[in-house]
Amino acid sequence: MKKVTLILSFVIIYALSAFTALPPAKLVAKDAHISFYSHTAVEDITANNYKVTTTLDTDTGELVFSVPMQGFEFEKALMQKHYNSKNFLNTKKYPKAKFVGKITNMGAVDFDTDGSYTAQISGEMTIKETTQNFEATAAITVASSQIELESKMDIVLADYGVTFSKGKPSTNIAKEIEVTVKANYKP
Amino acid sequence: MGLVLLGVLIVGLAIVLYLFNMPHRDVVGSNADFYLTTSTIVHEYLENPTVANAKYLNEEGESKILAVTGTVQSIDEDMNQQKVILLMEANDKAGVSCTFTQSTNKHTDNIETGQQITVKGVIRSGASYDADMELYEDVILEKCDIIKK
Repeated sequence: MKKVTLILSFVIIYALSAFTALPPAKLVAKDAHISFYSHTAVEDITANNYKVTTTLDTDTGELVFSVPMQGFEFEKALMQKHYNSKNFLNTKKYPKAKFVGKITNMGAVDFDTDGSYTAQISGEMTIKETTQNFEATAAITVASSQIELESKMDIVLADYGVTFSKGKPSTNIAKEIEVTVKANYKP
Repeated sequence: MGLVLLGVLIVGLAIVLYLFNMPHRDVVGSNADFYLTTSTIVHEYLENPTVANAKYLNEEGESKILAVTGTVQSIDEDMNQQKVILLMEANDKAGVSCTFTQSTNKHTDNIETGQQITVKGVIRSGASYDADMELYEDVILEKCDIIKK
């Protein structure tokens, strides 16, 4: 009788554990926002993209961004055309830019406790056909199971093979572009 | 002679002003280039993205306008206060994400999940499986509006 009770207890506990699943570690944000800003003495250029997909694994700190390049909208239509063209980002041939990396200071970020944390991020950035090591700092805010990530960084266009030797692009587009990222992750 | 020069200057100025203030493409006011179902476009991309991109994306960013018919799976809002409707069929691995504009947002007011609708918009990227994210990405349409098929 005792043996049966013991076995039955184990079976019940095992069955119950199926109902206490832990929350998923991999979070997704579709429609994250990335904007970039170029400042020169001649003109300032801003573009916004509200269609970025990104995942964040709160167990491993793995962070990935997939950016649909044709989603960047400029105020000036002509600028948008030039940006997409073969001479610049060639977005038909390279429709997506990627960042694959991770949070390197996971000890300093507590995804289970509401609060604000500073995350160090390291990984690889791919724009067109060039991949470079890339590092950035991000502000992570945890508020009742919603996780917000914000970051500002500089990208040197020439690092990814985007250069201009003459004409308007060389004077009107900054060598270093300021990029702002904002994502709201949900399970 | 002076008059000719003046004429040339005025024409030149007109061209520069036009280029500087060139209007954005009016997707909402344009007809669709292709009519298809959610499943068709998703399968086309998952099977051969290179062929699909050659067919639908344009070098100057003036990509094709698609009219996609499918089932509403969800209705959300993005960070630019634009409505986003996800069209997706139960058996497919990815769907078509449709982002509306400030002026067409209100056309989504009465749309409910489970409804069959046709959405017209410009394609920004295709469906694909992303190995790094271990996620299927949806086809992305923007400048969307609801149309009657």
